[in-house]
Amino acid sequence: MTDPTPRVGASGDSPPFSGAGRPKHTAATNLAARQAALVDSLLGAGPDPEGLDPARLAATRSALLRKRAGEAARHWPLLASALGRDWVPFASEVLAGRPVAGGLRDGWDVARAARDRLGEGALRELAEREQALRYDGASAPRPRLRTRLASALRRRGR
Amino acid sequence: MAAAAERGPAAGAPAGVPLCGVGIGWRPEIAGVVEGLPGLGFCEVVAEAVPAAPSRGVTELRERPGALRGLAAGVAVVPHGVRLGLGDADGVAPERVAHLAACARMFGSPLVSEHVAFVRAAGREAGHLLPLPRTREALDVLTENVRRTTAELGVPLALEPIAALFDWPDDEYTEGDFLTELLDRTGTLLLLDVANLYANARNRGQDPSAVLDRMPLDRVAYVHMAGGAVHPDDPTGLYHDTHQNPVPDEVLTLLAEVRERSAAPAVMLERDGRYPPAAELRAELDALATAAHLPPPT
Repeated sequence: MTDPTPRVGASGDSPPFSGAGRPKHTAATNLAARQAALVDSLLGAGPDPEGLDPARLAATRSALLRKRAGEAARHWPLLASALGRDWVPFASEVLAGRPVAGGLRDGWDVARAARDRLGEGALRELAEREQALRYDGASAPRPRLRTRLASALRRRGR
Repeated sequence: MAAAAERGPAAGAPAGVPLCGVGIGWRPEIAGVVEGLPGLGFCEVVAEAVPAAPSRGVTELRERPGALRGLAAGVAVVPHGVRLGLGDADGVAPERVAHLAACARMFGSPLVSEHVAFVRAAGREAGHLLPLPRTREALDVLTENVRRTTAELGVPLALEPIAALFDWPDDEYTEGDFLTELLDRTGTLLLLDVANLYANARNRGQDPSAVLDRMPLDRVAYVHMAGGAVHPDDPTGLYHDTHQNPVPDEVLTLLAEVRERSAAPAVMLERDGRYPPAAELRAELDALATAAHLPPPT
């Protein structure tokens, strides 16, 4: 169904969709800067943009952290249940100011911060992940060498 | 503009979109309940939750749509994108557009939907659907991104206005006028989220019925319904569109108003967490059907 040929009547001044690099929107330059400032503000990494209601931005920031905590809980069920009612406030505190990295990494950051107060189940959940994956706290977790070797051996053994 | 408008009869005419009845957002947690709905009109699946083809394994790829088809044989499946970023000033990523198109092909979908929102900026993910200033500048960015998307999709695209807790200070359009202009420019359809409309009107101190009057209701492809609540820890007292609470009566009343004013024969429930027992979920779907004068899915 995909038709890569230019359509009659399609605006001729736009660059081809699959061309090198991202499209340059002239209209976007100012908007791009405003969007970046807003994202920084909501992630707790920059001041509130001028003209926006600080109380409403704060409410949005909290809602965003609750949502991240919810996604992290789906990846880390034992961790979330170990912290119980304290899960959302604690996770929110840990995640505020950190880039949005998805439930696995967000939860990992929370697990490491909460290590001292975790019970057996949550500690095992963390230990299993730490054994299988190497996570430096800043970039996507990667399978550890022994995990990669084990899966390569399994493939060969088939 | 012409590219999308010339796509086919369905692109400009909601009557051509074969969605009808009461539907639901399919989620793994409620798959069993959805499976037991004999009168389900359609379902929606989050596009980003569908595995990419074919690197993640052909088996998984086949099982996913197979499972969906199995629980709702012959029922339309609408891919619903949440991270494309049609409002991103940096443009839409071709691979994200390609994934949305692949989802539509995989499910044989009659249409695809996404949001009027931006989701990332300067390479940083917001983790949220964020509002755009309702300005000509933002319209130009949206128009360009929507055109790049519809050029690849092969099926009509429906755009959903989001719920947001704040507005930009320099809005040049009302929400209804902004949307009408965007739909006119791009030949797209409206995914009317009645819960979002209610939340925004309430949080702005507006009358939701008056807001509804300004919406391009002749372009509605289908309707979203969801629950929300005032959060106990939020000092602003704002209403949050959580998708984790029951649908309030006010939102059901507004749905009835939508149905009085336009065709909109397809209405669905979005639930994203704190899933209620099956009986409660089924009752909520029946309440939607009653408000919309549609056959109950149960």
